Amino acid sequence: MNRMRRLLLTGLMLCLVGPVYAQAQEIVIALGSEPTTLDPQLREDGGERAVNDNIYETLMARKPDGTLLPGLAAAEPRLLDSSSWEVKLRPGITFQNGEPFNADAVVYSIKRIIDPQFNSEQMSFFNTIKDAQKVDDLTVKVFTDGPDPILLSRLYWMKIVPPSHSKDAKFAEKPVGTGPYRFVRWNRGQNIILEKNQAYWGDKPQIRKVTYRFVSDPGTRLAGLKAGEFDVITNLLPEFKDQVPKAIHVMGLEFPIIILHADAGPTKDVRVRQALNYAVDKKALAEGLFEGFAQISPGQLLSPSFFGFNKDVQAYPYNPEKAGALLKEAGAAGVTVEVIGTAGRWLKDREMVEAVAAFWDKVGIKSKVRIFEFNEYLNRLFDRKTRADAIFVVSSNELMDADKSFSAYYKAGGIGSSNTDKELASLIDAARTETDPGKRSALYHQAVKRAHEQAYFVWLLNIEDVYGVSKHVEWAARVDAKMLVGEMTVNK
Amino acid sequence: MGRYILKRFGHGIIVIFGVTVFVFVITRMVGDPVKVMLPLEATIEQRAAFEKQLGLDRPIWVQFIDFMTDMAGLNFGNSLWQHRPAMTIVLEKLPLTLALAFLGIGLAFALSIPLGIIASLKPGGVSDRFTVFISLIGLSIPQFWLGLLLIVVFAVQLRWLPTSGVDSPAHIILPAITMALPALARLVMIVRSSMIDELNRQYVKTCTAKGLPFYRVVGVHALRNASLPVVTLCGWELIRAVAGYSVVVETVFAWPGLGLTAMQAIEREDLILLQAIVFTVALVVVVINIIMDFVYTLIDPRLKLA
Repeated sequence: MNRMRRLLLTGLMLCLVGPVYAQAQEIVIALGSEPTTLDPQLREDGGERAVNDNIYETLMARKPDGTLLPGLAAAEPRLLDSSSWEVKLRPGITFQNGEPFNADAVVYSIKRIIDPQFNSEQMSFFNTIKDAQKVDDLTVKVFTDGPDPILLSRLYWMKIVPPSHSKDAKFAEKPVGTGPYRFVRWNRGQNIILEKNQAYWGDKPQIRKVTYRFVSDPGTRLAGLKAGEFDVITNLLPEFKDQVPKAIHVMGLEFPIIILHADAGPTKDVRVRQALNYAVDKKALAEGLFEGFAQISPGQLLSPSFFGFNKDVQAYPYNPEKAGALLKEAGAAGVTVEVIGTAGRWLKDREMVEAVAAFWDKVGIKSKVRIFEFNEYLNRLFDRKTRADAIFVVSSNELMDADKSFSAYYKAGGIGSSNTDKELASLIDAARTETDPGKRSALYHQAVKRAHEQAYFVWLLNIEDVYGVSKHVEWAARVDAKMLVGEMTVNK
Repeated sequence: MGRYILKRFGHGIIVIFGVTVFVFVITRMVGDPVKVMLPLEATIEQRAAFEKQLGLDRPIWVQFIDFMTDMAGLNFGNSLWQHRPAMTIVLEKLPLTLALAFLGIGLAFALSIPLGIIASLKPGGVSDRFTVFISLIGLSIPQFWLGLLLIVVFAVQLRWLPTSGVDSPAHIILPAITMALPALARLVMIVRSSMIDELNRQYVKTCTAKGLPFYRVVGVHALRNASLPVVTLCGWELIRAVAGYSVVVETVFAWPGLGLTAMQAIEREDLILLQAIVFTVALVVVVINIIMDFVYTLIDPRLKLA
């Protein structure tokens, strides 16, 4: 039904192009879902982040290309010993309600979010942080549980809250940060309004006022953009790309892969696993399903801006002859491979599985596609006892570091892992505690290379984030998927 | 009268109880919010901790007893997704859904009477065929598509009305029309067929023979007798609007009512919120049914509430 609806809508709208009304330095952004709270430390919630990324700031920040740089910290935090860091803070910053930003605020924010009583859904980002201590007004010490090479990425995720206002019972409805925008109003179900923070310490944003609207249906978001009601819409469907004034796309944080069972069944033979990689025309997937808004995965669960990316490893090229030959060599021609997928959870999830299965069939595999409802699908993805031959999954990784996705999918015993490669697991474990960035990155390069040679996965695509933008808004989207209004401009 | 209301409410409570228990059992059989709500990469330990926090690690019968005691006090607990009391969310959304349903079905009802009568006056005539044809179209158009069509024409092309949202009274027009059209099509057909039945009866001839003006014969005598099935269908349409169509219409128009919220609660496996929504919708259905019974007695005094 969904697909039919989109087709009908696309057909209808192709012939209709309307003018766009520009409003002076005010923009409306349509998000897919309304925030459940505006407390920036409590939930794992994309709608909340989209709004709060403009109100709150973090000690570390990223450039639009993903490079880490100091945010509220005056300089990059310094490693004191294997498990403590010293963070110097920028002086002279105040929260929008006048509270000073200082060591007390940072210590308070860290302790608040790691407090088990507080029960933050973001805890998985911070579970290595043990404590924080004020040294002087602008210096804080952060203690980790053993060496934590990812601390800087973690600090990039942790929003700093004002100590006294955050104790207010209404804090979750009235956010106050140090960022370029301040909160004005939240009409539940309707919109959230922010205004420029005149006292902002950094570069002053151009746009004066932002209104967030919540529209879950992609067709309705498109209609709103075309009618001039919205200036920026999120998650534009690739098939709508020709209907919007401008489509902005940037490398995203989602990576569809197929996990192959390396210990049993037809995929036990490394030649079969390699053949399954050679058999798939990834370029056709990117163009046919995503209208080009996806890159061929370079044979790893990372994109170039991520820590651990190995630029020497490349995608298995599309080579059906070689795939067929490998299968024959392994005596696996005509063998049945069961592939598990789900429908409607991720963009084009079912379509990708079906297309891959068709490519496999062409080189002499009998693929058996089984699409399950998401819950039942998860039962199979998480089943540690009997692994399916092949399981499709979309991994997402907000910290932009190899650790999270490798621990889950590459490492033996990880929640979605189908191999028992001890060497690979030890590389990932070693990297987890290696604080020297050079050595750590070398460990991941080895891990990436090993998994690639062993073809533990069929790496498919790196999916891009696509935004629909009105003509008068200028914006270069970011690889970390943050929608920073301060980086947008309106021209009239 | 009083006894009647008590009796109907007694039945209603059994219905609501049954529906809610059913939802409790079904959601716990097919769904597992722990799996769905945490990021895929969450570890087994994180999952166990989260399950404990939600109280879903307790035996199912303990959860059920808890659920029943809470429900007796209309307390459904906190939504797993929004972390606010589920009833607060439902009460926030319910008026929006009721407004849309009543306006939409009210509109359909108001238009169906004249259209149905016109069609019934000359069965097989041009106006009749035209009305039937239009009704068939109304019945066949998928509602989501109708909604998108209206958005494209009236919001994107003509820019008379907004595409989505609830910012002003103008925002309700397109969703209300989308809600109304399929119901209107069904109502017109019923008005038409029961009017045709009535107009062929002896008393109509008698009235006409006695010299009563035509509009009185049709508009007062025949219409009143023909209206019983119309009212029945109208009540049924209202129920379908609240309990069914609202999901489609609210999603298309980003109308933040119960239907859209129910969709989102299902996507996120928010069992608690889902229970509160189903309970409330069941209650609304029971109340609408009781109101309909009263309306019957107003139309046809032979019917007694017993």
